[in-house]
Amino acid sequence: MAHVHEITVWTRGVVKDKEGRDVASALTSAADKEGKFTQAFDNYVDLPDRVNVPVRKYARISDEEIEMRYDYENENPEVVVVVDSVMVKGMDILRGMKGGGILVVNTNRKPEDILKFIPNKNLLKAIACVDADGIAGSSTVDFSGTEGGVDATGVGSGIAAPLLGAVAKATDLVKLENLTAVVKNKEALRLGYENVVIQPVH
Amino acid sequence: MFKIPKEREVPFAGVTPAPVAEQPMMITGNWRTYRPVLDAEKCDLCLNCVHYCPDACWTLDDAEESVLWNSKYCKGCLICVNECTAEALIKVHELDFEDGVVRLEKLF
Repeated sequence: MAHVHEITVWTRGVVKDKEGRDVASALTSAADKEGKFTQAFDNYVDLPDRVNVPVRKYARISDEEIEMRYDYENENPEVVVVVDSVMVKGMDILRGMKGGGILVVNTNRKPEDILKFIPNKNLLKAIACVDADGIAGSSTVDFSGTEGGVDATGVGSGIAAPLLGAVAKATDLVKLENLTAVVKNKEALRLGYENVVIQPVH
Repeated sequence: MFKIPKEREVPFAGVTPAPVAEQPMMITGNWRTYRPVLDAEKCDLCLNCVHYCPDACWTLDDAEESVLWNSKYCKGCLICVNECTAEALIKVHELDFEDGVVRLEKLF
């Protein structure tokens, strides 16, 4: 059985829900262009979301068909994306990580300022900090596409775009040019790719 | 009436034991992005924060000399900052504080 790359996105209900969903769906759409087997979905347990509650979005990328397709949670994520930096303080965002993982945080603070709130940071290989709020300016509050309907605002028009650029640089899951074809705000995607601060964790 | 053995009793759906003042099974402090910080010298005890807080996170202390903030249940809605007449409350980003970590193993 081929290895399935599991990506977990932590975000806030309603106000940043679409941003988290865009990160997961754009990653899988870009990987789909490379001929990978992919899957992107919400955490059912966290729904229905209310304003500001922690919610999770999941993505899976694999070279072969995903046998764990009907598992409804990513038990062992290797990449964790945090859309709201305060969430590193609230809960164990690295739960289930087996070690050597990558954490991507939307923050304008230094990596060490974030790491001091993570007690199990020894599971990480590297941390990537990108000021997605500063680059994209605003987050999209939109329910379009929530229930599998047509996504009218487009994927990656808010802070999801610089976060995706950061994921592309910090990991080797997807190529930047495939993300560029998927994401709406291409300038923010490029700025996120260029301005991300990646620091190895020892 | 049925006699249910103690070990087979299940809680009624959605019902948690009645809290006295706090409900430890429903801590929501990790919803917060900004926290209200009180400047005690400016505070004139108008009690707007106590009255307007939707989650009763502001209370008057027993000596009735200051208001107390409950970090475990404050969701950071900042209504208190908006309603403060003496401008004694300001919002500060949560990552500026080392304390107040309400780390939940289960989300809800």
